[in-house]
Amino acid sequence: MHSAATIAAASVPDDAIVARDLVKRFGEVAALNGLSLRVARGSCFGLLGPNGAGKTTTVSVLTTLVLADAGSATVLGRDVVAERALVRRELGLVFQETTLDPELTAREQLDIHARLYHLTGRRERVAEALALAGLEAHADRPVRGFSGGMKRRLELVRGLLHRPRILFLDEPTLGLDVAARAGIWEELSRLRRTSDVTLFLTTHSMEEADALCDCVAIVDRGRVVAEGRPELLKAALGGDVVVLTLERAAPRDEVLATLGALPGVARVTYDGVDSSEGVFRIVVANGPQRLPELLYAARPFGVREVLLHRPTLEHVFLHHTGHPFELGRQELEGRG
Amino acid sequence: MRRLVEDAATIFLREWLRYRRDRAYWVGQLAFPLVVVAFIGFGLNGVVRLPTGVDYLAHLASGVLALVVGSGGVGGGMTLIQDRESGFLRALLVAPVSRASIVLGKIASRVVASLALMLVLVAILATFTAIGLPHPAAMLLSVISVTTAFVALGVALASALRSLESFRLLAGLVTVPIYFLSGIFYPVSTLPAPTRWLAYANPLTYGVDLFRFGLVGVHELPLGWSAAVLVLLTLATTAGSVLIFDRRSLR
Repeated sequence: MHSAATIAAASVPDDAIVARDLVKRFGEVAALNGLSLRVARGSCFGLLGPNGAGKTTTVSVLTTLVLADAGSATVLGRDVVAERALVRRELGLVFQETTLDPELTAREQLDIHARLYHLTGRRERVAEALALAGLEAHADRPVRGFSGGMKRRLELVRGLLHRPRILFLDEPTLGLDVAARAGIWEELSRLRRTSDVTLFLTTHSMEEADALCDCVAIVDRGRVVAEGRPELLKAALGGDVVVLTLERAAPRDEVLATLGALPGVARVTYDGVDSSEGVFRIVVANGPQRLPELLYAARPFGVREVLLHRPTLEHVFLHHTGHPFELGRQELEGRG
Repeated sequence: MRRLVEDAATIFLREWLRYRRDRAYWVGQLAFPLVVVAFIGFGLNGVVRLPTGVDYLAHLASGVLALVVGSGGVGGGMTLIQDRESGFLRALLVAPVSRASIVLGKIASRVVASLALMLVLVAILATFTAIGLPHPAAMLLSVISVTTAFVALGVALASALRSLESFRLLAGLVTVPIYFLSGIFYPVSTLPAPTRWLAYANPLTYGVDLFRFGLVGVHELPLGWSAAVLVLLTLATTAGSVLIFDRRSLR
């Protein structure tokens, strides 16, 4: 038994998850449209995109709940269709909607889960999990009466009860208040420090992906449009953006030439005249340090207003999809 | 195989934890047959003479108990829709348990719940009707097979439908003719020819007849024939519900 486990571990590649060209249609709507991705073992991978981009469908395919129409995927080297029984043993899953049995108490819930995964030392594990979720005082109450935050914490410890090697989290903080959200983030960060579990989370919160993930894939309309470390994705945009509003009289070509020649400036674009002013957009590395120099150079043209934007994943999304994050969402909601 | 039984036992336990708290289920299932016997049975008892020689009160009481078993089975299938609505089904489907064990656990929990109900109801009804438990094995076989068949029906409906409302509506529409043509209210041998054939084609007829034999000691159809039909029915509907559930749970 022991040697078999060792052999299995040795033969598994470095990738925790590999998905190739996944396609899934629900009637007319293509939820996945050639989605491919790779997740390194022990990393925290974030699938980022607006509602309806295909995040939940991706999780459903990877967790053996939905069959893809085309493409293939492996989890820990196992095929999610042919070897789904093996895949199921290795993964934990926390869904965006509750998947708790409302009629069972927290303790019963965890006990049933422990039995379903054939765990030994059930009583201790369940007690540990209840303590971890801070639900000891509510252990014997039916889940029906729990708050959203309590339910989510219970789901999280239930998802971890069988010590999965991969934990999927589908919108883990959706609909939670700020405090409950912070609690889940803290728990996930702790988990990463104390175990080598691979986390795969979907989110439509740029902030969440930025805070938790070492690698982010941006999905839009069923395919990955950008993938990489959040810093690198942001850096690929060329740096910070300074939006400079100058007096209308400012000679456009001269401004472009003057500002474009400054060190660190990647490009300057003219954004048009807003009633009486000229707006220029300057992409510059290390914006906060370059700002005084920029302003000094622009002073002869009459500076009215200045704004410094540090790049966020929102900008990355806009850059790769050509439409802002919120717009993408509304559009899809209108369509769906 | 061992895993299948263990997993089914876990599902059984989970269902049981739920039923235990579901007072409406127990009160409803206990009160319904007593109300029918009291409000219809007493009235018809003096009017109706059955060719089978059983007094009408005992005929109706045993029939209505079979109906309780059947509706318990449909309710077992309905839990699939409830589990889908609560979201628990997804947690179950992603766990390393076979679809067969989920279905078997649900069937087993309903069989045990129905047996428990039958023991209580027979004890109550025995005090004022001619029913008892002369042939427990016949009753047991009948409860197992009727429950399994109706759970299978429930699973089939639950797989095709999304909401609890449509399930209830359609379940009523499908089960009422099955109940009425099964000898619950009158012996099927008294029916005119075409309807009688329908009744003989209805598997519940054999379940009710064997069930009544278990409780009253009288039967209309050959016992061996009924037992054979029920064993076959149990096997076929178990396999059928597992297949349907397995296919429908992966979209």
